[in-house]
Amino acid sequence: MNRTITTILVMLCVSLCAFAQKGLRINDVFEGKVILKSKMQESLIKGDNLASYNLKVLHTVKFTTPFKLRREEVEKLFYEDMENRLSDDDENMELETRNGHLYYAIVQLSDTEKGAHRYICYQCRDKSGDYDITLVYMEGKASLADLRRTFKKK
Amino acid sequence: MKKVTSENVQELLNRYMEGENTQEELRLLKEYFGNNKDLPANLRPYAQMFGVLDKKPKTPSVEALNRFAEAPQSARRHIPLWPLLAAACLAAFAVIFLTPPKEEENMAIAYVDGKTLNNEAMAMQMGQEALQEIFSNGNEEEQLTDLFNEK
Repeated sequence: MNRTITTILVMLCVSLCAFAQKGLRINDVFEGKVILKSKMQESLIKGDNLASYNLKVLHTVKFTTPFKLRREEVEKLFYEDMENRLSDDDENMELETRNGHLYYAIVQLSDTEKGAHRYICYQCRDKSGDYDITLVYMEGKASLADLRRTFKKK
Repeated sequence: MKKVTSENVQELLNRYMEGENTQEELRLLKEYFGNNKDLPANLRPYAQMFGVLDKKPKTPSVEALNRFAEAPQSARRHIPLWPLLAAACLAAFAVIFLTPPKEEENMAIAYVDGKTLNNEAMAMQMGQEALQEIFSNGNEEEQLTDLFNEK
C-alpha cells in the first residue's frame, strides 16, 4: 500500500513540474479569468528565441482597466504568489509601492524541479484613472542581475 | 422382503422412483441388477444406472492430501499488483522524459485585439518591451516622468 501511495505521489509531482506556471495564482490573469483575453495584449515565447537571454519561457500580458477592483484583484493574486519568493534580499526581489498599492515588483520564486529560475513581474501605472497593468512570467537559467543588465534602460 | 424377483422388481423400481425404498430394498435392487446377466430389455437401463450408483467415487490418497496441504503458499495462483503499478510508472516516465520535445517547445505567439498571431517578431517585441518597462522602474528619469504623468 505504501508503495502504491509513493508511486502516485511521484507521478503527481512529475505532472506538476511539467506545468510550472500552472501552480501560480496569477495564471488566472494569463488565462483570461480576470480580464477578458480580447482586452489584453499577450505574448508567449518558448525555446530557442530566448536563448540569447538565457531564458526558456517568457509570458507577458498587458491591459488597461478603469476598474480599481480589477487592479486590486491582480495585485492580490500577485501578493499570494510572492509567498513562494526565494528570499527578501535585494538580489532576489525588487518592489515599490505607491499610495498603498503595488507599483512594480520583480520577484524571484523558488526554482523549478529542473533547477531553472522562475520570476514574476508586475507593474501598474495609474494614468488619469486608467490602470495600465503588465504581468510577466519568466523561466530560465538567467539570474536577476543578468536580466537587469539586459533589460534596464540606461 | 428377502429377494428381488422378476415379479416384484417393477414394484420395487416404482418405489425407488418415488424415493420410498428402504435401505434394505435398495441394497437388494443393486444386488439384483449387479448379478443378473439375463435381464429383459426394458430393465437393462436400470442395470446401468445401479451399476453407476454402486461405484464409489475415487478419493485421493492420504499422501496426496498431505502433499496438497504442504504446498508452499507462493505456488498458489496470485496476481501481484506491484509489478503492474511499477510497469505503469515506468511507461509514464518513459512517455514524459523520452518523448522528443514537441514543436511547442519552440514557440512565439502574440495575442492582440482578440486575435492570435503566429508572428515571432511581434511576440518578441512585445515581450522585450514589457520587460524593459518593468526593469527600468529603478531608472530615476523614468520614475520622474511617471510621477509627472500621474494625476
